[in-house]
Amino acid sequence: MSAVHPAPGWATSPRRANQVWRFRELLRQLILRNLKVKYQRSLLGFVWTFLNPLLTVAILVLVFSHVVRIPLPDYWAFVLSGYFVWNCILQTLNTGTYIFAEHSRLTRSVAFPSEILVLGAVGSRLLEFLAEIALILVLLVAFHHHHVPASFALLPILLAIQVLLVIGLALPIATLSVFYYDVQHALPIALTTLFYLSPVFYPAQMVPEAARPFYFLNPIAGLLTLYHEILYAGRMPSFTLLFGMIAAALLVYVIGYAIFNRYCSVFSEIV
Amino acid sequence: MPFSTATAASSPKSSDRAVEAAVELRGVSKRFYYYQHRTSSLREWFIRRILHRPLNVRRAEFTLRSFDLRVGHGEAVALIGSNGSGKSTALRLIAGIYQPSSGSVRTSGRLTAVIELGAGFHPELTGADNVALYAAVLGLGRRELMARFDEVVDFAEMREFMDTPLKYYSSGMEARLAFSVAVCLQPDVLLLDEVLAVGDQAFRDRCLARLRAYHAAGGTLILVSHEVDQVRELCSRAVWLEQGVMRMDGDVDQVLAAYRANDSLDRSRGAS
Repeated sequence: MSAVHPAPGWATSPRRANQVWRFRELLRQLILRNLKVKYQRSLLGFVWTFLNPLLTVAILVLVFSHVVRIPLPDYWAFVLSGYFVWNCILQTLNTGTYIFAEHSRLTRSVAFPSEILVLGAVGSRLLEFLAEIALILVLLVAFHHHHVPASFALLPILLAIQVLLVIGLALPIATLSVFYYDVQHALPIALTTLFYLSPVFYPAQMVPEAARPFYFLNPIAGLLTLYHEILYAGRMPSFTLLFGMIAAALLVYVIGYAIFNRYCSVFSEIV
Repeated sequence: MPFSTATAASSPKSSDRAVEAAVELRGVSKRFYYYQHRTSSLREWFIRRILHRPLNVRRAEFTLRSFDLRVGHGEAVALIGSNGSGKSTALRLIAGIYQPSSGSVRTSGRLTAVIELGAGFHPELTGADNVALYAAVLGLGRRELMARFDEVVDFAEMREFMDTPLKYYSSGMEARLAFSVAVCLQPDVLLLDEVLAVGDQAFRDRCLARLRAYHAAGGTLILVSHEVDQVRELCSRAVWLEQGVMRMDGDVDQVLAAYRANDSLDRSRGAS
């Protein structure tokens, strides 16, 4: 057996993957801890997690079906199938801005692959998201489709795209936050801008044809469109969109991990 | 804030070592940059770029300079020296928390480093949850933990507090629990950084007994401590560091004597 120090390398390299695998119990414990700390003292627990975005959905539905009219049948079902995805991404990216500062004692005194902290945050939020999406599926089947559309079977692929995308975005955000405290101020502004530039409360089809190539440079726009297709419209998405998004998510993941790897060896000296 | 640019360690070829050491450091240097000014906001970054001002004003300082150390399996070595002599940096380099600026660090076998007791403890979690979390932090797998959980709790003598959230523990209890996890892990190489001053006398005696038993069973121990009695009791060899440079390496009594003689010399110089 030789030295087992976490060393920089590609996320796809066997050595790096091996490191993360060796600390999989830590990942499991961190996910458990995040959920326990959040829910143990709260009587209503998960209800709060679900209620907060649901309230925003209600407001969006109220405004955009009675004030500014967006002509979609069952507009509530449309907002419901995208907003929770957006909310999940937003919260995970925000966590990224303080995750290393929050665990500075750990990073300074233990040699472990530090992306585990980010993966733990992604993992615990994802488990909550799975519960949310299960409830949404029930609502959509009961009040919108009145049957189970075959397109729902694609949900695992969408989840995989979402996970890759969120990891690929959260890692560089967390890396940059170690060096620059501005990130935690700048990110909410960026995300508010992105909220309007992503199809959360309007369908991507309403974006002018000429602007669409630029519009879809934002990978979140593609992901939300996929969710709208398979959850709200209940139809198979176009192959271009599906495989384009798989490729985009992989690209974001690899680039994000590479940025993290470039700097992660000095985290223990800075945080 | 110390900050360094680490370059990858060049590891020696496997052919040039006859017997594999537990820990082997070759010409290891660690350089930190102490910043008189450091650009840490993007606004400043832009302004300094436009005005062609340097982004950072820094001074490089060696915390450790061409340090060689070879610790065989089953040895017990103490790192001694005054504050800021580079002991803790050396320990962090061995643990792999820091990457060396130059030189190579090589370890063999399973290594556990306890630099800060209870790093990763969460005040809202119960004692049992924290034991599981801390064991995972130190690299223990799920099954290994389940096999050792009772041993940890018994060693800490805190079974009745296992379901109590950590925030209701006294700081002594918290440290005791953390230390129990660390000593029950049974790694091949154990690094301890001034964490032995824990709990009451009875608990300390049990810790020392436990560490002696660990060493007797063939475990390798590297210890940073200011407590001379502990050093003498646990270690046969001592390494004396002074301002990042090794002053002496040898039998624990000889090194301690030389260190103390130097120390009192410094003090009498300072007094006059």
